[in-house]
Amino acid sequence: MSELRLEGKDLPVSRTTTLGNRTGSWKYIRPVYHDRVAPCNQKCPVGIDIEAYLNLLREDRLEEAVDLLLRENPIPAITGRVCDHPCETACNRRELDGAVAIHAVERMLGDQALTRRVAASPVTQREQIGVVGSGPAGLACAYHRNRLGYAVTVFEAADEPGGMLRLGIPEFRLPRAVLDRQLEQLRELGIKFVCGTRIGKDLDWSLLASFDVVFIGTGAHLARPLGLAGEDHPAVRQGLEFLQEVNAGGRPDVGRKVIVIGGGNTAMDCARTARRLGAEVTVAYRRTREEMPAIREEIADAEREGITLEFLVAPVGFGDDSEGVVDIVFERMVLGEPDASGRRAPVPTGARFEHAVDLVLLATGESASLEALPPSVQVYRGSIAADRLGATAEGRYFSGGDVAGHDRTGAHALGAGKRAAIGIDRPLRAQRASAASPEAVPAELAALSLGPQGNLSMTRWRHDDPVRRVAPVDEVVSPELLNLTHFEPAERHADHKPNGAAATTFAEVNLGLTRNEALAEAKRCFNCGVCNGCELCLIYCADVAIRRATGAYRFEIDLEYCKGCGVCAEECPRGAISMTREGL
Amino acid sequence: MKKVIVGNHAVSWGVQLARTEVISAYPITPQTQVVEQLSEMCASGELNARFIKVESEHSAMAACMGASAAGARAFTATSSQGLALMHELLHWAAGARHPIVMADINRSLGPGWNIWTEQTDSLAQRDTGWVQLYCETNQEVLDTTIMSFRLAEQVNLPVMLVLDAFYLSHTAEPVDIPDRELVDAFLPKRQARLKLDTAEPHSFNALVPPASYMEMRHALQEAMREARTAFDEVEEEWEQRFGRRYGAVEAYHTDDADLVLVTSGTVTSTARHVIDQRRAAGERVGLVKIKMFRPFPTETLRAALAGIARVAVLDRNLSPGRGGIFAEELRAALYDVPAEDRPQVYGYVLGLGGRDIRPDTIDTVIERTRAAAAPDREDLWVGLLGDDGAPATTGRAQTSADSLPGVEA
Amino acid sequence: MSQIMIKDALQQRELMTSGHLACPGCGGALAMRMVLKELGERTIVTMPACCWSVIAGPYPTASVQVPVYHTAFETGAAVASGIRAALDMRGDTDTTVMVWAGDGGTFDIGLQALSGAAERNENILYVCYDNEAYMNTGIQRSSATPWGAWTTTTPVAQPQANPKKDIMAIMAAHRIPYAATATPAYPTDLVAKVRRAKSVRGTRFLHILAPCPPGWKYADERSMELARLAVRARIFPMLEVEDGQHWRFTMDHPGDPVEPYVRAQGRFRHLDDAQIALVQERVDARWTELLGRVMN
Repeated sequence: MSELRLEGKDLPVSRTTTLGNRTGSWKYIRPVYHDRVAPCNQKCPVGIDIEAYLNLLREDRLEEAVDLLLRENPIPAITGRVCDHPCETACNRRELDGAVAIHAVERMLGDQALTRRVAASPVTQREQIGVVGSGPAGLACAYHRNRLGYAVTVFEAADEPGGMLRLGIPEFRLPRAVLDRQLEQLRELGIKFVCGTRIGKDLDWSLLASFDVVFIGTGAHLARPLGLAGEDHPAVRQGLEFLQEVNAGGRPDVGRKVIVIGGGNTAMDCARTARRLGAEVTVAYRRTREEMPAIREEIADAEREGITLEFLVAPVGFGDDSEGVVDIVFERMVLGEPDASGRRAPVPTGARFEHAVDLVLLATGESASLEALPPSVQVYRGSIAADRLGATAEGRYFSGGDVAGHDRTGAHALGAGKRAAIGIDRPLRAQRASAASPEAVPAELAALSLGPQGNLSMTRWRHDDPVRRVAPVDEVVSPELLNLTHFEPAERHADHKPNGAAATTFAEVNLGLTRNEALAEAKRCFNCGVCNGCELCLIYCADVAIRRATGAYRFEIDLEYCKGCGVCAEECPRGAISMTREGL
Repeated sequence: MKKVIVGNHAVSWGVQLARTEVISAYPITPQTQVVEQLSEMCASGELNARFIKVESEHSAMAACMGASAAGARAFTATSSQGLALMHELLHWAAGARHPIVMADINRSLGPGWNIWTEQTDSLAQRDTGWVQLYCETNQEVLDTTIMSFRLAEQVNLPVMLVLDAFYLSHTAEPVDIPDRELVDAFLPKRQARLKLDTAEPHSFNALVPPASYMEMRHALQEAMREARTAFDEVEEEWEQRFGRRYGAVEAYHTDDADLVLVTSGTVTSTARHVIDQRRAAGERVGLVKIKMFRPFPTETLRAALAGIARVAVLDRNLSPGRGGIFAEELRAALYDVPAEDRPQVYGYVLGLGGRDIRPDTIDTVIERTRAAAAPDREDLWVGLLGDDGAPATTGRAQTSADSLPGVEA
Repeated sequence: MSQIMIKDALQQRELMTSGHLACPGCGGALAMRMVLKELGERTIVTMPACCWSVIAGPYPTASVQVPVYHTAFETGAAVASGIRAALDMRGDTDTTVMVWAGDGGTFDIGLQALSGAAERNENILYVCYDNEAYMNTGIQRSSATPWGAWTTTTPVAQPQANPKKDIMAIMAAHRIPYAATATPAYPTDLVAKVRRAKSVRGTRFLHILAPCPPGWKYADERSMELARLAVRARIFPMLEVEDGQHWRFTMDHPGDPVEPYVRAQGRFRHLDDAQIALVQERVDARWTELLGRVMN
């Protein structure tokens, strides 16, 4: 039939696609993928890439998540239990239906890490590193130096390593088995521990001359007296000293009634320990519940265990009573204007009252012990004077943690230890670096930091990030950058699960999360600022201009066709796409 | 097989024998018997087709377009208002080069309501790109229906076959219905190359910019040109197989004629009768029947009419403001004939709204043509009634005695 | 799970190409992309005059990789009936025949043909992507334009005076086997409805809200947000109607106030608080009416 002769040009029949129309020329703004900084990451004093390990866990890549965690944190099974988790306070999910239970996930991952057999790190560098003090700061410095290929020896005054972790934290919060296994793994890595040796007393600093670098992380153990009349009464004890006694296995008689002065974690630990020794315990704090620095969960546990909290009271003196009982005189306080800490300051009212108790435990803070330092190390306002990377004026000595005046938490100490590890490495790496070596010293520390105010990343220092990074920008993701439409409510898991037993034993109270619960928590994570491959940008592209990619980027935008509508950036749940002016 | 059937059923038989695959139509007097019988045929299985009983003529044509675009042989039938309603889509079907076949039962357009025959409905669609074939007898209707599919599919143009309301549509005549096998051999199953096909996806009828539109219109015009010769070939083959042919133009006793009538549709039969009588009386009169109106058979008509002194065109239609449409087209066609051979064309408007055109009406036409050396106007009205309801005197205008729509006495 | 992970809910195949001529942020273009993903290659589309007459690409190009028949404004459902008939006659009953029409071609000029096809229960899928005015011709009002809206033919001094035609009720009244509303802002819901529609025989109707940045006058990037606001405020409820009788919601409609939706669009800029309250009243009244249908 001649119908077969009909040609496409004779009638409007398509012969080709619209790909010849380069609609990309229409746009005046273009979408760009780049990683921003998750607020949890910036707030983590340790400098952990929390978002990234949660993302790996979300994808059920448990072992990789553990690996990523261990890149920054030497002791996640411990921090997962005792860290005060400022990451969760920063979490963008907090206002929606509760922050992701990051520390509980970390504990699960940490416990998973404890089951691993650890191989010794190969020693590739000739410099010897000495670490004085085996608390979190020392451990972190030792761990990271070890992983960077250095021989490390840790000196500890006590008979066993761990510092405040061992001496200050009760077993019911941090079981000894966990602590011991964590330390054992550090030994397995090849870190050498010399215990029962107090440098500057048992052993002179000069005997550490064989070490090329020495890190001082001796902590803050020194009791800080209140300066009140009658404070020397035998029934008035320093809380930390009391905890050390019990944690070392002692079971002192605490009598029937105990008052703990303070509102921090040491106060909670003292109260709960005294409770386990049979006392009725009251915690007296000079401000209100709002201002208490203690971890919320610990406060809740304390109350659950029958401990009474009394607020807006401050001790003003101690009187002697008969038979070892002490009369403690309190003054009623009210909250006044905010003080330097930003919290409202307690103001005395003049109203006083007394309690007769068997034991008073003071938990109002400790100072660093600075008597036994090497003479060349300078002290400034009660702490070792060290810069952000732990360097002191004397090039051989580095310092970090409580003794260097950092915030008094284990997490900050871990972060300081890590920074010092980088600080120690910097000049050494500079010496090794040659023009031929790709291993260059980063010009700016900012390039290492997780956000403008975040800690440094060891991963970035090592240039071996296993996570694909897309044009990172140093900007923390604010809630406005998120598109919460793409999340449905998912209640935070009860991350703190008391074992239900009476407060009579020292068994661990918090049962933690199961693996599945931790997985579900990971799925609650917004992955703020980091593309997790959710594909919403691709799904919502009306111009079919976004494609899956195989390289560093998960997606590529075909700018030949993208019209710059901005829907992808608007719909991205996590603020990982920005619109930028064309030509810039 | 001979059957005595009405013209509408001749259409239906043609559609059935053509193995039409999709029918879509909407009823309108006087077309209804076409769709009624096709419904019966589909229901009984005599015809294996999908009959889409749409809610309007525009949907009827739209459904045919869809079916044809998807490769099916598609048919519809309508009349008058229905055809007018389809108007937009007649352009679309032709521009998209769909070989749809449609029967139009010529009927006048309202208002007021008039269901009787008149050609204005089909002629008003002359610029839509459809082939138009006018029929004189029911046999011609059936034969033309089948040939229309063949022609349409050969040149990728839609074809409208046209028959007079009642004079054919409802008038029974003996019709030789050809054998199915013979028709199958003449008209195989449609094989469309460019069609809606998921295996070879194309878009059809998209936005066409000025840079391409004109070439497509040219291609349409060329297809029409091709249709003119293709029709002769199709008829040639039809004649070989079935022994009948009609011609795009039929010349009847024109060789020595000094006056020739030009007709289309059933008027032709009446005129044939008048010619026969006058020939018997020795008058040199003849007849030209135009079957094919689009494409307009210009060359054939020039050949048939050159050298004849006077040509009287019988237009049962009206283009208001101009006159009879066949006359108008014929004048244009003959203009290029050398002056010495160029006939004088007399355009008569008559039989509108189904008014009878009887032999004496045609006699009037011939007499008026003989009476004047030249027409004084383009539209010469025949059969008008006067204000008193009596037949108006020859040459009397309907509205004014001074404005004569006729010939000087 | 907390993040609504939808990537696996959508087919990977792409039957639409870049370089099409939709405006940036076009809801109608995205709707087509999603619908074709679900329908697949064995689909034939007919499009009456609408924005897509342009988006689909001028001759000799096509922006979709399925056959497309562009047709006159009022003929979508009828052309589809013809295509269906032709396919059936050739024994192809599986290929989906889809009409892709705008609101003008559906609510207005194409309603008669649609009604005819629906009454005959033609085995076609009719999709109306509704941008609530004649956008392709430059924003003239249609019977899908909401009350109070500005268009070029309902100027601010005399804005749209009639409520939007209730097309779902009209389609339901035809007792077609399946009708649903959707929007590309909820891709999972949309493709589930397309999947459902694909599996049903007879006339299926999808009413897709397609936000239009230039016509509604908002910033391009807010297209999906606006569709969601419309759904959440019960302005455009997400529905399924089976056999014209069984109405059900396919998601929750929290009943957010209409004001943020109205305020976000330039076409409503002239409305004062009292008028917005009137919009709210009308939306509430329709919702109550709809609840009655869903309850039955």
